[in-house]
Amino acid sequence: MNTAIAELPINPLLLYVACVLGAIGVILAMPRKGVSPMVFGGLLAAAAGGLIVLGLTSHAERHAQTPSIFFYIFGLLALGAGLRMITHPKPVYAALYFILTIIASSGLYLLLSAEFMAFALIIIYAGAILITYLFVIMLATLPPSEDDMDALATYDASAREPIVATFAGFTLLAVLTTMLFRGTLSLPVRHGMDSSDAILSKLPGKVEDNLSASLHAAELMTPEEHIARQVDVGRVWIDSARRRVLVSRGENTAGPDQGELVRWVDVPAEMWPADMVGTNVEGVGLNLLADHPMTIEIAGVILLMAMLGATVLARKQVDLEEEAKARQARHLALDVVAEDVG
Amino acid sequence: MTDAVLMLAQADFPTPMGVLTLNHYLFVSTAMFALGLIGFMTRRNLIIMFLCTELMFQAAGLALIAFGRYHLNFDGQTFVIFILTIAAAEAAMALALVVLLFRRRESLDADLWAELKG
Repeated sequence: MNTAIAELPINPLLLYVACVLGAIGVILAMPRKGVSPMVFGGLLAAAAGGLIVLGLTSHAERHAQTPSIFFYIFGLLALGAGLRMITHPKPVYAALYFILTIIASSGLYLLLSAEFMAFALIIIYAGAILITYLFVIMLATLPPSEDDMDALATYDASAREPIVATFAGFTLLAVLTTMLFRGTLSLPVRHGMDSSDAILSKLPGKVEDNLSASLHAAELMTPEEHIARQVDVGRVWIDSARRRVLVSRGENTAGPDQGELVRWVDVPAEMWPADMVGTNVEGVGLNLLADHPMTIEIAGVILLMAMLGATVLARKQVDLEEEAKARQARHLALDVVAEDVG
Repeated sequence: MTDAVLMLAQADFPTPMGVLTLNHYLFVSTAMFALGLIGFMTRRNLIIMFLCTELMFQAAGLALIAFGRYHLNFDGQTFVIFILTIAAAEAAMALALVVLLFRRRESLDADLWAELKG
């Protein structure tokens, strides 16, 4: 039994204690009427996060792994900002804390070598979606009354059923992490996308650029020559099996049967790009366009529908209900009286 | 001090992950999802409730990217592009609805619409 526990990446007891601590911290940090022990709750939740980090780190040292410090910085930043987001009573601050979460998780994306998605996340989420949220928060908030500028709306000032909801959420977390920490799945060391032969079939232009640069440098090709390419189909004449390329001086090349315009050049073995690495953007682009082309179609239709829907909804004329009308009338009347007095 | 800085500069900068396990990332993702769920259930402000769904989207995206890295393919990242699209569409629709509801009741309280549960 003990050896089975020692094999796990974190002691289960420690995990559950951290979950309970975190739950109590979140409950305390929830906004409520009167004095709320928010700071204490935040500290408690941070302590829970620290416990988990401690458990994970001690395991890692035992297995001679030194986890990247960046992971812990970004992970704790993301979770801390997320906690602050769900507990902050003011919507504007909640949205700003969510931007912090986004930035921290884009740091995690960078650690996972998903560079394109990291920057797309910042541009699209933090730059576009969250700004839309901020606009709506500004649009849909009642103006503060004169006597108390910091007054919160009642629905912001107190949470609904904090204890039950936190219990449910942390039960989910405990169950999921129990399954999660059954064993460790170490991430493989990245070895690039494919060999150059595989890249040749997908990204011939990349191999062509690489080869023609090195062939020009080694003067196996004269400056006015280039690697032959059939313009209409875009096929490059690179024979990966026999390690040779067709070199041409003309513009359109149909094939090796064009006599004096073309000649085969044998590529020396050390010049052949054996371990070519596709960049992240190339990989994502190829995957999106070649393997999942339907994704773009569906995404386009969804965005079109959202655009139409938002337009229809925004154009609709809304009548205030009786109660709200009366409230607004009272508000206006008070303003008039105030102006008269003033 | 200078030596320490130089040593840092010479180290392999962001250690490329062989040392971290998939579980680390999945834990962050799970905790983020749980936080989003708790926020969705406890907060009464309609806008913050939708922000919490965005937090849950974010958690799903992190898990997808981590799994894609684990399998060394790009499917996870393609799906995150899709998630970003859905999040943008959802933000547009949901916020239009929120503005509509706000104009009708002059309040963002979700409890005011409790009659919708039938």
